Amino acid sequence: MLKKHPLAGFSLFGIILFILSNRVDELRVFQGATVAIYVIAIASIILLTGYSGQVSLGQGALLAIGGYAAALARNHWGAPVWLTFCIAVLAAALGGYLLGIAAARLSGPYLAGTTLALAIGLPSIANQFSIFGGEQGLLFDIGAPPASLGENFSQYKWYFWIAALAALIAIYWLRNVMNSRYGRSWKAVRGNDVAAELAGINVGRNKVLAFTISAGLAGLAGALLAMTISTVSPGAFPLALSFSLATGAVLSGVTTLGGVMIGAVTLVAIPEIVDTVVSRFESSESVANNLPGLLVSTLLILTVLFVPNGPVEQLRTRREHRAKK
Amino acid sequence: MIRINRRKLALTSAVLAVAAMTASSLPAQAASDPGVTASSIKLGITVPMTGIASPGYNKIPGAMKAYFDYVNANGGVNGRKITLVIKDDQYIPTTAVAKANELILKDKVFALVGTLGTASTKAISASTQLAKRGIPSLFVNTGFSGFADPKGYPTTFSILPSYQMEAKIMGKFLKEKYPDKKLALIYQDDDFGRDALAGFKQAGVTFGTYIPYASGSQALPATGAGWISKLKASGAEVTVLFGVTSASTAALANAYAAQFKTQWVLGSVGGDATTIAATNKAYVPLLYGAKGFSFAPAPTDATDEYIKLFQSIYSAAQPTQTFDNNVVAGMSNAFLAVQALKAAGADLTRDGLIKAVETKGATFASPFLTPLGYSATSHVGATGYWIGTYDPTGALKPDGGKYTVYTTDSGNGPVVESTYKRPAMPAKGLPN
Repeated sequence: MLKKHPLAGFSLFGIILFILSNRVDELRVFQGATVAIYVIAIASIILLTGYSGQVSLGQGALLAIGGYAAALARNHWGAPVWLTFCIAVLAAALGGYLLGIAAARLSGPYLAGTTLALAIGLPSIANQFSIFGGEQGLLFDIGAPPASLGENFSQYKWYFWIAALAALIAIYWLRNVMNSRYGRSWKAVRGNDVAAELAGINVGRNKVLAFTISAGLAGLAGALLAMTISTVSPGAFPLALSFSLATGAVLSGVTTLGGVMIGAVTLVAIPEIVDTVVSRFESSESVANNLPGLLVSTLLILTVLFVPNGPVEQLRTRREHRAKK
Repeated sequence: MIRINRRKLALTSAVLAVAAMTASSLPAQAASDPGVTASSIKLGITVPMTGIASPGYNKIPGAMKAYFDYVNANGGVNGRKITLVIKDDQYIPTTAVAKANELILKDKVFALVGTLGTASTKAISASTQLAKRGIPSLFVNTGFSGFADPKGYPTTFSILPSYQMEAKIMGKFLKEKYPDKKLALIYQDDDFGRDALAGFKQAGVTFGTYIPYASGSQALPATGAGWISKLKASGAEVTVLFGVTSASTAALANAYAAQFKTQWVLGSVGGDATTIAATNKAYVPLLYGAKGFSFAPAPTDATDEYIKLFQSIYSAAQPTQTFDNNVVAGMSNAFLAVQALKAAGADLTRDGLIKAVETKGATFASPFLTPLGYSATSHVGATGYWIGTYDPTGALKPDGGKYTVYTTDSGNGPVVESTYKRPAMPAKGLPN
């Protein structure tokens, strides 16, 4: 059904999520919201790296722009919730556009280095201006769920609905963009920029566009992240966040959007699985604390070694290979 | 190509979502408050166990657990044994919220205890809606004055005096001890530092030189060197450092390298020898002669009955760890938590626990040398400081050989020398 009616497919998936959200406990709902946010953030990296061939290690900084923009819009202008998310997307996209102009002139490790510097530097700007609330950050309160949803409707379910809906819309829209002329142009640029230019594609403009859209998505993820923790602070967007998002993108497979859930679910599930396992065996604290990092790193290495383009792409290639025989 | 991906997307997504969300469903909540049975009380803590902020702080949960185990071995609290569930938040607010949610929703803890760091504590409180759910957050480890205000945080209790209180006391000390000296102040340019500036202003102290630094920048070598050249240029004779320990380390190391001599006065947050030793053991002697502030008895004070007891409990539980400030902080926190649980009575509820601290908290026995400030209108713990001098091993020794304690409030109240005499420790260090 998805093949012919993608919109219906996405709607169906949305309905499944909706039903699930009413049947599982609150912790799962909270984790579901986190997965949805990671889906958007990882998709923004896949778009940038997998489709347009630009490496960003600083996605966390763009998330921070989105988070702060949303919180400021809410706190200072009392913007309605939906508008705060739109402002977050626009603010981050603007940041991404400016970064993209610089990035289009850089490539490979130079670009990675620039974005990395941004991830380290940008969140601490918040400490320089009192409007950002310093190290303790700002509160970002989207308010209680509408009363019409009933008294027992929890805050986290409300967050989950918002995050899941945003993720579904973002991925559906992104899928269409990637199938459009722009998506094909990006792939051409990634494959060989000289050849792309000869084919009449404006390489620079395409790179900047990819950066802008990717940043907009990251901004949305940042605002949603701020929503789930009800605050924004520099500490919420550490370098570790940028790295784990990049890891999630590699686990998902950077060249296809299809596996985007894999990375997001892995990032949320691994610490929890480790916790459960470790609590069964009375192992030492330092093992328990460092195991999640070790597991994710191992998965990353295994992915790069055996399924460099991600599990979904791998399956597809294998099937095509078999079909040829 | 995309067509197949689409199907894959839907399939993988659906399967993973179902798997992730139904992996472990939990039994419905009982009628009474979670985390309490006839024989047990479950408490939860999130602290940085790994990551940049972890050295020093990662000893706190172990110290708390050691004291809880000691209480358990002696019959527990009203017949209930305490378990402490420890989660690593890496000092990242996002992680802290995720971990607090696990504690509340999965481990079903009765109360949170000893949450650390202002940003994390704020995020946990707002996102998990502690106040709305009525979940007590006992004795948070941050000096942000907001947490002491029950209007904003009705279920949260702090343990440290506020940074403003500390600056007021420090200000009085500076005026009396160094009236004619050239003063300089290095401070963290955020709410932490601003609280301090407000306190100094109230105390009527002005500095000849103000050196603000952005949080995080103290790790850069050039930053510390920059401070010292400014101090040198201004001829600062007494330099106050109101920042984190990594800033103290940067300042002391750079001053030593530049052969610059000044009388250092370190705020309570920035003078922890263990944390300095974690950077470089060779830096610890640089603390020698600096003035410091504390409200707990010095960990090296073998004459103090609490320190003696804590030391014997801790060395049995954690034989390979050194007994320091962080251990005293953790065990004092656990000691107060046990008293609060005891005071809440045999019929233990979350509401009852909060009421107990509000009504009886000011009379709790505590290792601290200052009175406790708990009441229905204030959730502040210790209310003052004693002043001491660091010895070459990095231990803070009280000036004049005895603890002279000054107390004040976060408002306009005066700084007074306290007449508080700490009551004797309950028998065997077990609350009665």
